[in-house]
Amino acid sequence: MNILIAGVNKSYGDFVALDNINVSLPTGQLTALLGPSGGGKSTLLRIIAGLESADSGSVEIEGIDATKLPPQKRNVGFVFQHYAVFKHMTVAKNVAFGLEIRKRPKAEVKTKVAELLELVHLSQFAHRLPSQLSGGQRQRLALARALAVEPNVLLLDEPFGALDAKVRKELRDWLRRLHDEVHVTTVFVTHDQEEALEVADEIVVINEGRIEQVGTPDQLYDEPANDFVMGFLGEVTRLGPFRLRPHDIELSTTPGAPGVLSGVIERSLRVGFEVRLAVDVEGQGEPALVVLSRTHARALDLEVGTRVWLRPTAGATSVPVLEVASA
Amino acid sequence: MAETSIRSRKGPVTYLLRIFVITYLAVLVIWPLWEVGQQTFFPPDRGAGGGFGAFVERLSDPSVSYAFNLTATVAFWSVVINTVFGVGISLLIVRYRFPGRRILSVLVDLPMSVSPVVVGLALVLAYSTGQGWFGSALASVGFYIIGTTPGLIMATAFVSLPLVIREVVPVLEEIGTDAELAASSLGATGWQTFRRITLPSIKWAVVYGVVLSMARSLGEFGAVKIVSPGAEFRGETATLLIQNRYTNYQEPTAYAAAFVLVLASVLALVVVSLIRKEDHV
Amino acid sequence: MTQTLVASPPPARPAGRGPGRAGRPGRRGRGSAANGGLFRLTPTSGLGLGVALVWFSVLVMLPLAAVIGAAAEGGWASFWGTLTDAQTFAALRLTVVEAFLVTVVNAFVGTVVAWVLVRDHFWGKRVLDVVIDIPFALPTIVAGLVLLSLWGPDSPVGVNIVNTREGIFLALLFVTLPFVVRTVQPVLIELDADVEEAAASLGASRFTTFRRVILPSLVPAIAAGSSLGFARAISEFGSLVLISGNTPYQTEVASLKILKFLEGDNQAGAAAVAVLLLLVAVVTIVALDLISRRVARRG
Repeated sequence: MNILIAGVNKSYGDFVALDNINVSLPTGQLTALLGPSGGGKSTLLRIIAGLESADSGSVEIEGIDATKLPPQKRNVGFVFQHYAVFKHMTVAKNVAFGLEIRKRPKAEVKTKVAELLELVHLSQFAHRLPSQLSGGQRQRLALARALAVEPNVLLLDEPFGALDAKVRKELRDWLRRLHDEVHVTTVFVTHDQEEALEVADEIVVINEGRIEQVGTPDQLYDEPANDFVMGFLGEVTRLGPFRLRPHDIELSTTPGAPGVLSGVIERSLRVGFEVRLAVDVEGQGEPALVVLSRTHARALDLEVGTRVWLRPTAGATSVPVLEVASA
Repeated sequence: MAETSIRSRKGPVTYLLRIFVITYLAVLVIWPLWEVGQQTFFPPDRGAGGGFGAFVERLSDPSVSYAFNLTATVAFWSVVINTVFGVGISLLIVRYRFPGRRILSVLVDLPMSVSPVVVGLALVLAYSTGQGWFGSALASVGFYIIGTTPGLIMATAFVSLPLVIREVVPVLEEIGTDAELAASSLGATGWQTFRRITLPSIKWAVVYGVVLSMARSLGEFGAVKIVSPGAEFRGETATLLIQNRYTNYQEPTAYAAAFVLVLASVLALVVVSLIRKEDHV
Repeated sequence: MTQTLVASPPPARPAGRGPGRAGRPGRRGRGSAANGGLFRLTPTSGLGLGVALVWFSVLVMLPLAAVIGAAAEGGWASFWGTLTDAQTFAALRLTVVEAFLVTVVNAFVGTVVAWVLVRDHFWGKRVLDVVIDIPFALPTIVAGLVLLSLWGPDSPVGVNIVNTREGIFLALLFVTLPFVVRTVQPVLIELDADVEEAAASLGASRFTTFRRVILPSLVPAIAAGSSLGFARAISEFGSLVLISGNTPYQTEVASLKILKFLEGDNQAGAAAVAVLLLLVAVVTIVALDLISRRVARRG
């Protein structure tokens, strides 16, 4: 019982949006489709919702072949980046819409709407128009509206993309808590790796129409399948033949064991509690980036021009540099 | 917009231009309009009565009421047809993909640019019983277009065809498809989505287009002139009546009818400006 | 109230119906399905399209085709012969000359009117703003009558324009008044103040600022408004019926010539002139499309 996507292709003219996608999204989990803009993740989500049809391949939702089903029959909830609230209806009417379409008894609709508005903390705004709500409130309204019809699957397309950073962070935490309460299978699209790492149970990384890797946040971060996934999930630098994260480089001011590379500090920048160093490593085109805590850096008495020795920390995540990538 | 110091500085040129524009509009538009009122309520000489009573009396002449009734009927049907057609074709052009869509969107704009005389001529050449391409075929099934009320409706519908479309298309494009898609993912059928989501969003644009079509339909002259027999009690619409009476030295009646149409146009202008305001709230 | 009754596609309108919308690949995110906001036809919408196309053909396309057919019936020689017939040619020439003169006046006066309505502030300005639309809102025959009430046989100032070329000029000036005003007005409103301030700070006089900075940005709007006005003037009929007098070689214009041909049962002649007017209409639409494309490209 899950969402099963098999052999899905989609192109617009010459542009290939999705290239033979096969993936299974588990029931009851919060899954993120993560990737850069234009990589095909929104298209995949819209194909799951039936808002768009695939050129080939099949979509199965909770054991039912939904490939040919129109969006009305899929029983999915869809939340749009720009909310897509019905501007001419009150908040309560918006939430009630799907239930009224299904001709549920009035009393039932009323209770259900009240319940959902309570859930998204919009009870006191029930009789306002969406234009009187803030962006974050509109997005919660859109969420309540989608949940009202008790969908098998909840799909969110860049749900927090149009909100400012602070509200985005709040809503992100709130979505995670909501999911723990409601437990509906949820898939959301995002291009923000922090958002995906923080909220999702499972992440599907999509780039240029292909799936790069599927896994839990930890798996992705610690065992990236390739250069792209590693680079997309966090900052990456180069040290000798490897790419690795800047905080996974150990720095000392004395020469050490064999395999240690030496270099000279080129630039030093303090950002809040950390210090970021660019080290010109001998025999390496690009400088290596090292991140240290401020206390550590002060203890080592580092400044521009200091000679240092670098090596990966034990257990550091690294991938070999591809010749093409290092050019 | 806040006026900047550069823009708000007034020199002699400002006043010169202001006086020029006021004079120009006064002489070209305002004064003649004032004179229409004068001619309507205080007709010069010829023993014609003046005042409001005489005005009403001229309008209550049976041939005049016939003309206004006919104009109302024709305008009503052409507006109904154009509204249904206009909303439908706007949806198709904006929301759907089909071959020839671009060409169609340009072609639906054409009727406004065609001279009304050409419109009348075109309908005659296509549908008149004597010379039209399809006239004889239609006549053989007992259907006549030229010289009848359906012909007047067609001529009027032709010239006002793009008005609803022009208002609805930009609004449809602006509102986008998100709300409609959201409705369908919530289980609404196509018709439910249209009635409950799309229609409320384009409501004011439709009303606006209807008012414009109505104004245009009430006042259509050229196309109607050609497809109508144009005789008293026989296809004589209000605009044709004005021409006929004026050329038959019954100016007071012509002016009375014209005054009514002037009022209708000004009313349309007022309604339109009110709708614009409503729309922007 | 701007851009109200003038039924013109203003050039500044976002190019929704314009170029580059259909079939743009991979448009994603806001507002529309990734395929440019377009759905595939369903059986219901397909049926709707069919009905709409049939009605549009019956009402518009077939009759217009019939005009072209009638004009082409006698062959090129007959078509050409009709148009170059001395009397017809005189009517066509008069129409074009009058329309051209009116357009020139409108390009100038319309811009001035728009300027005053946007930049000046005085009591009664809002009334003038509404007055601009009246000539367009009036039924054409009423427009003719309105002018005759002041400049006709019963003129209170003793000027009678009936059956004169000046009369035709005045009538055309009246009905085309809103075109340039209503296309220039919105552009003038949108114009950024800082550009003018920059010009002023660089030492430009107000006139130089207008000529070198403001006017160039108004040119597309003036051109669009003018071509709309020109097309309207060429095809004007209703307002001229009572005024022109219809004297051959003197005050006969193209649209009235069509009527005369038709009344004389000369369909081919009427159709020949009509095709010419149709051509003007099509050229205007294309010209406007080009102007709006250029404006859109400039951003």
